[in-house]
Amino acid sequence: MRHFLYLTNTRLVSLVAQGKRIVARREFAVSGAGAAAFEAYLANLRDTRTYLFVDLAEEDFRLDTIPHVGAGDRQAILGRKLTQIFRNTPYRHALLQGREAEGRRDDRVFYTAITNPELLRPWLEMLERLGVPLEGIYSAAVFSGVLLQELDLAFAHTLLVTFTPGEAMRQSYLRDREIKFSRLTPIDLEEGQSLGTMIAEETTRTWQYLDSLRNFGTDDRLEVCILLHASDRRVIEPELRDFAQLQYRLLDMEEVALKLGLKPAPLDSTCEEVMVHLFLLTKPDNHFASAEMRRFAVLRRARNALTQAAGAIVAASIAWAAWTLAPALKLSEADVRVAQQVSGLDREYDEIMKSLPSFGVGGSTMRDAVAFYNGSIRGFPTLTSFLVPVSGALRDHPTVRLTQLAWMATDDPKDTPRLARSQSREAPPVRTIAGKAAEPPPPAGPAAAADPPNPVFAGGRYQVAVVEGAMRVPANDFRGAMTEVEKLAADIAALPGYRADVMEGPLDVSPTTQLQGRLNEKAPATMETRFLLRIMREKEPST
Amino acid sequence: MSAVFSRGGMLALRGPIAILVLAIAAGGAVIGAAHWFAAKEKRESADSGRRLQEARSRVEGARRERDNLMQSAEVFRTLMDRGLLQGERRLDLVELVNSLRARHQLAALDYDIAPQRSLQLAGGRGFGSIDVLASRVKLRARALHEGDVLGFIDDLTTTPQGFYPVDRCTMRRIEAPADTIQPRVEGECTLEWITLKEKRRG
Repeated sequence: MRHFLYLTNTRLVSLVAQGKRIVARREFAVSGAGAAAFEAYLANLRDTRTYLFVDLAEEDFRLDTIPHVGAGDRQAILGRKLTQIFRNTPYRHALLQGREAEGRRDDRVFYTAITNPELLRPWLEMLERLGVPLEGIYSAAVFSGVLLQELDLAFAHTLLVTFTPGEAMRQSYLRDREIKFSRLTPIDLEEGQSLGTMIAEETTRTWQYLDSLRNFGTDDRLEVCILLHASDRRVIEPELRDFAQLQYRLLDMEEVALKLGLKPAPLDSTCEEVMVHLFLLTKPDNHFASAEMRRFAVLRRARNALTQAAGAIVAASIAWAAWTLAPALKLSEADVRVAQQVSGLDREYDEIMKSLPSFGVGGSTMRDAVAFYNGSIRGFPTLTSFLVPVSGALRDHPTVRLTQLAWMATDDPKDTPRLARSQSREAPPVRTIAGKAAEPPPPAGPAAAADPPNPVFAGGRYQVAVVEGAMRVPANDFRGAMTEVEKLAADIAALPGYRADVMEGPLDVSPTTQLQGRLNEKAPATMETRFLLRIMREKEPST
Repeated sequence: MSAVFSRGGMLALRGPIAILVLAIAAGGAVIGAAHWFAAKEKRESADSGRRLQEARSRVEGARRERDNLMQSAEVFRTLMDRGLLQGERRLDLVELVNSLRARHQLAALDYDIAPQRSLQLAGGRGFGSIDVLASRVKLRARALHEGDVLGFIDDLTTTPQGFYPVDRCTMRRIEAPADTIQPRVEGECTLEWITLKEKRRG
């Protein structure tokens, strides 16, 4: 919301704008109770940005040129010039209007000032007292040129005629849209004089004045643009007579308002609402207010900026936190689901553990005991199971008689148990002389040794036996005996899982041994031969 | 801007400045708290993932153990019935041997039971929950017929109480006159009397 004050010599108009729309209007007299009423009214708008337009008769204008210098020097020159020209007022302003076309191409400057500061003092003191954020003080005359730009009225010489609250008429002369002169005339009609007549007289007088200052060439014509409400047009228009150097153009207030987007259109010919609306469209620079006068506005902006920055920081922090927390909250939800899953798994675990069979020992004990049993004892071989199939094979060899055996369960297929050979009472007439070379190979493997005190417990994958047998055959039928023993070994080896080898046959006929024969006259008809078999059985691998 | 940075300006703006400072502090606190919470949630999420994995592994292990134990339960019941975990009862063995000797009419029976020891298993195998103990037993028997010796050994190894795996045996015929009643077979066997001991029981 913004608060606009339009000050004339007799009236002070308050206009409140919301966005680009004027939403409230109050008018106060500049004298008497008007000031007090305004102060009471202003108290309600003390925090609203305030803009003061001045449209006073005591506003003076000067044209000048200064050398074209740098910005700092230019400010110094303008400040000095303003002080020289308007030494009795702080309300002064210099407006740069471009450069001269010829010569040194100096800067053209338009000076303006409120020559009677007392007209502003009570109002500014009021604003100061209430701490109103004054954004600027603006010359309505200087600002009025914006109207021609917004209405696209481009003339070489224009005299813009506007009416101010409090019965006054402002004439502003603009050359190529640059203001060069302005004057305010109170509307004080004489006997028999109409408003139209007065306007015609005043504008003609202004033309004469401007012409006397050599503003016009011989072919130049002054376009007098009068901003009028339709209600005044009927009275004024008949009195206006164009001539070669002057032409009137009436700007209908409603049409102007429509073109500028001012709603609702003003109800009379005064221009303050149009000016405020133009201000909202263009936002010009401050003319007269000093930094001291504007300090409340600056502080207000700083306060707002700080507050907005604080709000932005908090909002950004919250947004950042939300952005950070969004995935975290998803994780949190996932955690809840995981916790539920873990809880369910724990319940299942407890139920499983309750359902486990128990014999008063731990599960691992049970498992180890069973594993030991299955791995070491369950399939452990027995002597009987080894001998029963061998006995079946022996049935096919009735001449063979077992005399002794040595058996062992082992994990090493090379183990061979120790067996002491027995002597036959009916030794054959031919025999191998026992010597080192003729001795049967000694028992092999660690198990063949004398029973150790703490032997390793074998799994019994192999059963190895050394079997000594005796066979009665006709005398000197060594060939038949050897054939029978080899056949017996073959029959045993044919048993599933068995292997049999002849360790020592009925007669060792190898060339490395000594052979001895003792044949007598009374030789018996039969003889008993002995032999050794090594039988091994491998346990079928468990599936 | 000098109006702002003057003493009066700073005094006039002390409220908004304080609000800005508070907003910065609050914003920092909010962001810090959000990051702390997010980091905490991330840690907890990782922890919960690990907990879930552990719980699954635990349940999977329990299922496996249940299945194993279900399969092992009958076997273990048999082992318990045969006294595998009850320790050695030497008097029972003495009585068992005596009864088997009488049943198989052994002419003579000598036996030696060595002190109990930890049994060394092939391959250095061991168990976490049990100790395997054994006493080495040597038997020497004489009988009229080899079937008596074999029956004695067979009955001993298949007795419903205890485990006695026989790992060595020798048998030989004894020469004796044909018309006399004298032992004709001599057998000598060695076996391990195996018992188990649960380690946790001390």
